[in-house]
Order: sequence, then structure tokens, then C-alpha cells
Amino acid sequence: MPMYTGGQVLDLETAVKDGILGGGGGGGVICDDVTTPNLGKLDLKKMIEQLDSIEVPSVFICPISLEPMQDPVTLCTGQTYERSNILKWLSLGHFTCPTTMQELWDDSLTPNSTLNHLIHTWFSQKYLAMKKRSQDVQGRSLELLEVLKTVKGQTRVNTLKELRKMVTTHESARKTVAENGGVSFVSSLLGPFTSHSVGSEAIAILVNLQLNSDSITNLLQPTKISLMVDVLNEGSLETKIDCVKLMGILFAASDIVPSLSLLVGVLRLVKDKRHPHGILAGLRLLKIISTQESLGNSIISIGGVPQLVEMLPHFNSESLELCLYVLKVLSSIPHGALALKNCSNLIPNLVKLLMKTSENCTKFALSILLEVCKLSPEESAATAVNAGLAAKLLLVIQSGCNPELKQLSSELLKLCSQNCRASIFISKCKLTRTLQ
Amino acid sequence: MLDTVVQNMGLLCCRQKRGNQATTEENDKAAEIERRIEQETKAEKHIRKLLLLGAGESGKSTIFKQIKLLFQTGFDERELQSYTSVIHANVYQTIKILHDGAKELALSEAGSSKYELSVDNKEIGDKLSEIGGRLDYPRLTEELVQDILKLWRDPAIQETYARGNELQVPDCADYFMENLQRLSEENYIPTKEDVLHARVRTTGVVEIQFSPVGENKKSGEVYRLYDVGGQRNERRKWIHLFDGVTAVIFCAAISEYDQTLFEDENKNRIMETKELFEWVLKQKCFEKTSFMLFLNKFDIFEKKVAKVPLNVCEWFKDYQPVSTGKQEVEHAYEFVKKKFEELYYQNVTCDHQDRVFKIYRTTALDQKLVKKTFKLVDETLRRRNLFEAGLL
Repeated sequence: MPMYTGGQVLDLETAVKDGILGGGGGGGVICDDVTTPNLGKLDLKKMIEQLDSIEVPSVFICPISLEPMQDPVTLCTGQTYERSNILKWLSLGHFTCPTTMQELWDDSLTPNSTLNHLIHTWFSQKYLAMKKRSQDVQGRSLELLEVLKTVKGQTRVNTLKELRKMVTTHESARKTVAENGGVSFVSSLLGPFTSHSVGSEAIAILVNLQLNSDSITNLLQPTKISLMVDVLNEGSLETKIDCVKLMGILFAASDIVPSLSLLVGVLRLVKDKRHPHGILAGLRLLKIISTQESLGNSIISIGGVPQLVEMLPHFNSESLELCLYVLKVLSSIPHGALALKNCSNLIPNLVKLLMKTSENCTKFALSILLEVCKLSPEESAATAVNAGLAAKLLLVIQSGCNPELKQLSSELLKLCSQNCRASIFISKCKLTRTLQ
Repeated sequence: MLDTVVQNMGLLCCRQKRGNQATTEENDKAAEIERRIEQETKAEKHIRKLLLLGAGESGKSTIFKQIKLLFQTGFDERELQSYTSVIHANVYQTIKILHDGAKELALSEAGSSKYELSVDNKEIGDKLSEIGGRLDYPRLTEELVQDILKLWRDPAIQETYARGNELQVPDCADYFMENLQRLSEENYIPTKEDVLHARVRTTGVVEIQFSPVGENKKSGEVYRLYDVGGQRNERRKWIHLFDGVTAVIFCAAISEYDQTLFEDENKNRIMETKELFEWVLKQKCFEKTSFMLFLNKFDIFEKKVAKVPLNVCEWFKDYQPVSTGKQEVEHAYEFVKKKFEELYYQNVTCDHQDRVFKIYRTTALDQKLVKKTFKLVDETLRRRNLFEAGLL
């Protein structure tokens, strides 16, 4: 159908192809028989769904729902809407045109076949282009996987890099790789003699793929884990984050004991104030492995406790909650509580955090405080009260929060009051008779 | 008087002129020397110093020889030949140790006749023991080879060999005894394999400079590797080498958990290595030095673990075997590795936590393995360098 745009006669194909209607995200790829009946059979609804992230030309959008129109109808005012939407509008008793606000002199709805045709064509083209691209991606990833089986050295590294890029951007690539033994093959590249470049790329690929329990067991072999720890310790920030993510997946499914080198590496990540993403990723891993019994002693032996405590004021809220969780777990073992108590800035840091962020943070902080104070009641209580704990505790008790928190607070309050001279205590929290 | 003055002035002027010429030449020379010194100092800065440390017989010199074979021109015929006397000496030393050891064991186990040599071999044994005790060893003749083999095959000697860990039997014993015929041939020239097995106690310091050539053949890295003697009396010489070291390659022979020191038969070798490692870690000059721990002699470890439990060594007394065969070997290795890791972190303060520390499983006699291992070490050091330069 010829269209007139600025004096130029365009046919439908050209109009859609050159993006005259606007709308990006398409390819220059055009199927030859765009207007054949076959494509009409492609369910428009399905295509729209699959192309949901694409930028749709504004003229295709229904002004009422802001969604692409599948059955456009025009009112007497000349405005076009999706049939079901305008019918609903009219059934609600309105007798106006929603966009122009004009009163309707005619209630007929004329199907806008021109627009319908255009919409179908446009979506079909975009859909076919997407399908082809996806096939390209699938084909290419399969190709890369085959190539990987034969090459070595720098070529291997480059191939892995390209595969990694595909896997991180395309769902279809991920599927293809997973379905063609990609997981076990890439895992087999990890070993005691794997170079850093190969290791970091392989890990970056694996972290994007679905791992079944066999793959996980395979990856949990000590030599492979050792390699991951090495890559973690030597890699760039992105590589470090990939490593901890992968290890998180692996360790969640097993009760492997994390090595000291691993913990040192994770701690280093967590302490790096320049990169909050790294901190968060590291803390997530710490939380996952905090269920491990021996973790506590390991972290303490590498001096991790004071380092974590020192970082408390620098964490954002999500990281803070994770860190406090880990510290809470540590506080429940005797060595842990001791190590915590020995951190001079633990109590002031914790008191400051109470009621500042989430309820969980306050809950964990209170648990830690309780354990530490139980260990050395007089000393810790004094420090705590000096840091303004009592007032905070009252705040918790009086607030409308979880009964668990209130329980913790009153326990702590009791402990403090038993170990502090009453006068100091009262003056520190400006109490009134409500205490009694 | 004026005359003299004028005359002298003239002379003076002349001397000045000649003096000027001389000084320019001198200046040029001095400048050239300055430039050379500057160049060399700059070049020196780029040379990475690697130090091989470890207790006696931990494999340092073998690694040293391997690097020589891999990255330098290897051993030329003359050098290979120079090892003949060493290898022959090893043979005599070994058989003497075994013979004398058999006698000792026979005495201590008076009841059994396990360690009693057969009558024919007694005379041979005494003869060989006498030869082995000399300062100068005779050439290995066909006759001597026959004698040695007869003795080696004597059941008493084999029984003694089975208890080799209580004596100071060198690890190369097996290898040389098996190749004895070849070693004694007229025109015997030691092979690379023979040279790698040859055992000489290193004394003093040896160094080589090399450049590991990468795939693309361009590598600006220049390494200087230092090998030292590992016995106790040699260690006081170590301290002179401790400055400006890029990386320490610490060799620990994990197969010797049931052996005692050459210089102190009451000290378990692994315990000695443990203490030595701790001592090295604490050295102030190594604050920024990377540590590569080579857990060496894995091939011997593999075979030994099945026969001798790890807990004979005090440090490993809490070891619990979980399975058998290859799995058990892996499990045992991971246990030992963990012990060393714990030891490292116990001796590390917060300032050291940035230091590179990696553990490698090695078998120094295996050239391919050493090459692969060194490739990794090289990669780590290069990345470390970039990291320190702020480029990573």
C-alpha cells in the first residue's frame, strides 16, 4: 500500500524497514515475503509478548492502556483505541473521546484496518529478526563450544571470552551451552594448572549457567575450589564477584569447609570500600558459609572479626544486615564472643546502628550485644551504657516492633542495670519512673 | 725574576692546555662509566630475584636444574660428563649406607636373621663399605657392578631398604640401582634424567639468570634464581640473600614425614621444615615478598601414604583416613596442604595479608610438571607486578 510521507511514495515494506514509524531495537534483517499470508497466522499476541522489551512506535499504542493495539478501532473523532478498552470506557457511561474530551456524536467503532495491517507487519518483521538473531546466537555459541575443545593458549582464552560475552547477554546462548555439555566441558578446564586468564573466563561462564547436582559435585573437587580461590585472590573486581557468586551456589549445596585462603580472599573483597558491589557479593557468600561449624574459628584465626567490626559504619543497609548476621553467628561461639568483645569499637558501632535501619539489623545487633555483655557483664555494660545503649533499648521496647526484639532489649536492659551503678544508669538514659 | 715568571707562566699555560685535554678525556670516560652504572642499575631493578629455600634434600637443586634445562641452554656435553663422578659416588654411598644399616638393624634385632647378609655377600659387603668410606671413589667397573647388584639383591639389603626412612638412604637409590649397568658403561654420558636424580649436597649459593619465553616469544621478564644449601650449617649464609627478593620458592618434601634429618637423627624432617618455614615467614625483609610453597616429592608421597600412615609425624597426628587408593592420596594431600596453609596464616599479621601466597603440588623430577608449574608462578608474579603498579 503506498503511503505518502513528505512527498515520497513509500510502500509498506520500506516504511517499516527504514523505521519511519520509529521504534528501535530492530535489525536491518528483513524477510523477503513479509506480506505473505503465512505471517498473518503468527499470533500477534504471542509476538507482542515475546518482543516485550522492544520500543514500539507510539502510533501503535492505545492511549488508554498504553499497550500495543491488537484490534484498533477508530471513533468518530478520528482517534484510535484498542477495541476492548474503548468499549469498557463507553460502558462506564462516558460518552466522550478519552483523548480529545469531545462529546461523541456517533457511537460507532470503525475497525482501523490500515493500522491493524501496519501493526501486524511491523511486529512480524521484528519477530522474525529476533528469531534469526537468536538462532545466530545459538549457532555461534555451539560453534564456540566446539572450537574450545581443540584450541589452547591465547586462542582458548579469546574463545572463552567471546563465549562469556554471549552467555551473559543472551538467554538462548545459555540454553544452548547448557544443553550441549557445556557445563561439564567448561568445568573440566578448571584444574591445578589452569592459568588465571582461562580460569577467570571459565568461572564467569559457569556462574551464568544452571548447575545440576552432578555439576556441583564435580565443581566441589578440592583442586577446582583451590583454583577458584586463586582466581578470587588475583582477579579484577568483576572476576572476584563472579567467583564468590559461583562459590555461593556450590557451597549452599554442600557442607564443604572453606579454606583459610578463601576466607582471606573474601574478607579482602568485603573490606574494599571503593566497591560496594564487591562488598555485598562477599558478604552474601559469608552468610551462606556461616552455617559451617568450623567457619567461626577460621574467621577468628585470620583476624577477620576486628576487620568486619571496623567496616560496620561503611556498609549500606543490605550489606549491613548480612554482616550483622555473620557476626551474630560468630557471637554464639565462645571464641567468637571473645574476639568480638576485644574489639574496642564494637559496642559503640552496634549501639549507633540500633533502630537505624531494618528490624533484622537491630535484632542481630541486640543478639551480639547480649552475648558480648554476658561474657564480661561489668566491663561491657559500662561501655554500652556510655555509648548510649540504654536510651536505644527504651526506644526499642516502646516502639511497635517485633516481640522478639523487645525480649532481647529487656534482657539486655536488665543486664545493664544489674551491672551499672544505678545513678549512672539513670543519668545516662534520663529515665523516669517508667523503668520500674 | 720576571724571566722566570714569564717562563713559568708559559709552562703553566702549556700545562693548562694539556691539562684541559686530559680532563676532557677523563670527563668523557667518567661520564661513560656513570652512564653504564645507571643503565645497569636500571636493568637490575627489572631483574626479579627468586630465592629457593627449604630444608636439606627438599628438592631445591632439582628445581634449579630443571629451570636450567627449561629456560637456558640446558646442560652441554661437558657439564653432563661432569656429573659422572657424582653419580658413581651416589651409587657407592647408597650401597654403603644400606650395608652399614643392615649391620645396625641386625644388631638391634638380635633375634631375627632378617638383616643377616648371606655368607657370600658378607665379603662383598665389607669391600664395598670400605670403598664407600673413601674420599675418592674408583671408577665403576663391570666387576664392581656385579658385586653391587649381588648385594642389592640380597634379601637382607632389601629388608633394610624397606626401612630406609630410619637411615639416610637418598631418594635416588632405586633409580640408580636399576640403571647400574648403563651407568658403568665405557662411554657413559649421563642423561638429563640421570643428572636430575644425582644427589650433591649444595653448599654456598648458586645462581642463574633466565627469561621465561612466552608463547608469543616476547617477554621482558628476567629472573635470577638463587639456590642454597638446606642443611642447618648452610642456613646462616641465607641471610645475605634476603634483600630485594621478589618471591621465595619454599620447597617442602612432603614425602619425608617418616624420616629424620641428615644432620640430626632425632629430628623429624617435616617438623624441621615446619619450623624453618615459620622462621622464613617471620623475616622482616619478606614483608612484601610473594611466597610460593612447593609441596614437593608428590610421587614418593603417593606411594608412601598407602603404606605409612601420616600420623607417625607429630604435626599430622590428627589425620583420619577416609578411604583408600587414589581418593585417599588426594585426601591426605589436601590435609597436608591445609596444615601448611594454617601455619602460614598463623604467622602472618594484618600487614602481610596482602602478600601473595600460593601452594603448588610438585614433583621436581618431572620436567613437564615443573614447566607448567613455573608458567603459573610466572603469571602470578607478572599479575602481581601490574597490580602493584596500579594497572590492575
